[in-house]
Amino acid sequence: MDEIVAEFIRRTILKIPMYEMMTILKAWNFLSENQLQTINFRQRKECLVQDLVLLCEEKCASLNDAALLDIIYTQVHRHQKVWDVFQMSKKPDEDIDLFDMEQFKCSFKKILQRALKNVTVSFRDAEENAVWIRIAWGTQCTKPNQYKPTYVLLYPQTPYAFTSSKLKSFMPLLGQALTVASKHHQIVKMDLRSRHLDSLKAIVFKQCNQTFEDHNSITPLQERCLELDVNVDSRIIHENTVEKERVQRVTQETFGDYPQPQLEFAQYKLVTKFKSDLNGGILAERKEPLRCLIKFSSPHLLEALKSLAPAGIADAPLSPLLTCIPNKGMNYFKIRDK
Amino acid sequence: TAGILIPDLCVLAHLERLEAQVNKSHKKSEELQSAQAEESALETKIHQLRHIRDKLRAEVKQRQARANASSANVEPDQTVEISEQDVLERKQENMKAILQAYHFTGLSGKVTSRGVCVCISTAFEGNLLDSYFVDLVIQKPLQIHHHSIPVFIPLEKIAAKYLQTDIQHFLFSLCEYLNAYSGRKYQADQLQSDFAALLTGPLQRNPLCNLLSFTYKVDLGDRSFPFCARLLYKDLTRTLPTDVTVTYQGMEALSTAWEKHRASHETLFCTVPLHRVFASFSREGEKLDLSLS
Repeated sequence: MDEIVAEFIRRTILKIPMYEMMTILKAWNFLSENQLQTINFRQRKECLVQDLVLLCEEKCASLNDAALLDIIYTQVHRHQKVWDVFQMSKKPDEDIDLFDMEQFKCSFKKILQRALKNVTVSFRDAEENAVWIRIAWGTQCTKPNQYKPTYVLLYPQTPYAFTSSKLKSFMPLLGQALTVASKHHQIVKMDLRSRHLDSLKAIVFKQCNQTFEDHNSITPLQERCLELDVNVDSRIIHENTVEKERVQRVTQETFGDYPQPQLEFAQYKLVTKFKSDLNGGILAERKEPLRCLIKFSSPHLLEALKSLAPAGIADAPLSPLLTCIPNKGMNYFKIRDK
Repeated sequence: TAGILIPDLCVLAHLERLEAQVNKSHKKSEELQSAQAEESALETKIHQLRHIRDKLRAEVKQRQARANASSANVEPDQTVEISEQDVLERKQENMKAILQAYHFTGLSGKVTSRGVCVCISTAFEGNLLDSYFVDLVIQKPLQIHHHSIPVFIPLEKIAAKYLQTDIQHFLFSLCEYLNAYSGRKYQADQLQSDFAALLTGPLQRNPLCNLLSFTYKVDLGDRSFPFCARLLYKDLTRTLPTDVTVTYQGMEALSTAWEKHRASHETLFCTVPLHRVFASFSREGEKLDLSLS
């Protein structure tokens, strides 16, 4: 096991928090139960890591084994990275997609290896027939940098791939490899980005609302109506009940009853002319359009937007520019004058 | 059944096999008859039990009414009213049960405040499989509000073709795709769970279950014949493959007899559901052993 691999494994294991150590090592399945039992997991972390690396050395861990451990760590800590979404498309009348996983993996690797002699490509199959791909980039003459890899979560037989990459210069090559290996025609980057991979998936696969009215279940609407009637005290009069109910209804129609997908921001790039009700003014006379950037940030943007009207902070209905985010699958907008 | 795997050297052995086949088909029709008889017996029993239940319920209500009447000095007319209510309740329960049972037709729905929520319940060979929902908003143009159709089913394509012009065609087409997908998935799942022992490697599959690749072996005494099969389902509305290739994976050349087997396997995979083919393999495995001893 060479020094690069040893150091890479050491640094990867060091990142793992102690309470996750066993779970991740077991998922990695490289060190056996018996071997893990010989280690003292109560010692200081640096010593523990040293012992583990020694075990890996005894077992001759390869670069691919180390890459797999890195993939597992990333799967568990996916929210630490920001994920982009790519959408691939086929030509309109193309044949049925007969996706062959082995063929894809082989083709994908070949394309990257032909382009850059030095590149590490690793795969890990995931649930729902998806596959995680890790790429460490090198060049014709330099070895791959294992500490700035790109991760891809690909859903075969769907147009979508989710990527996280610190090195942006390799993205066109990555796009080409994904497209050709999965037998698509072209690839486009969506204006959608978030730390929450599962939310991105819910948005593009349109899986946000998964409650359906069925004769086998009571609708949540019926249940809520019952609740409202119970808390009425006839001595209390709400002056604006009508308006409150209208706001509730509009909010429910726009956002639904289900938990919103989690996004951290929405960004609007405006290239528009200034519009004002007042006559005159310096800005109104500008011939050139104004350029400005408006960014809404929140730990959970869509839930925050949903609570604006009921909290009385904004009028209902909210601007469609805000409410269209999950439906359009965008949180980056460029707005120009029509 | 087609697919004769044992090269017969002896007329007697052939006659024996024919006799065994006749006995088997007799047994099958007997089994079917007894299953049907059992079914109708159970149906009668259900009716009887329901009748008893209704009688008991009516009695309970009557007794309650009598108890209330005696304590509050109520007129005897009340008992007549209660049994009417009982009839209505039973009718309502019946109606609810029928609405719930509509699932079994494969296509059912419930009216919503915006339109209708359609439920497609898929099945294969009499097994009820997954259900999928499409919530439709009734307005011009007709819109899909939300759904639980898997991403790899071409919902947008089908909707673009039929949703606005012929909703029946839209629903039936969607049913076709979903039932076929469910059926293919069922076959692949069955192969993985029930016949893993006959496979010599993991089953390769994709989300749509329209490309399956696996290696299996046929044992004859102490000799093992490895094969590799590749099944392509180019028609997404069907549960049987459109292209099948079975290749022999051994080192030596294949004898003419075994070449016939290989070809017959190809035909089998094209015409019989996957798990049934393997069920017949595991049965014939026993037959092969017997013919040697």
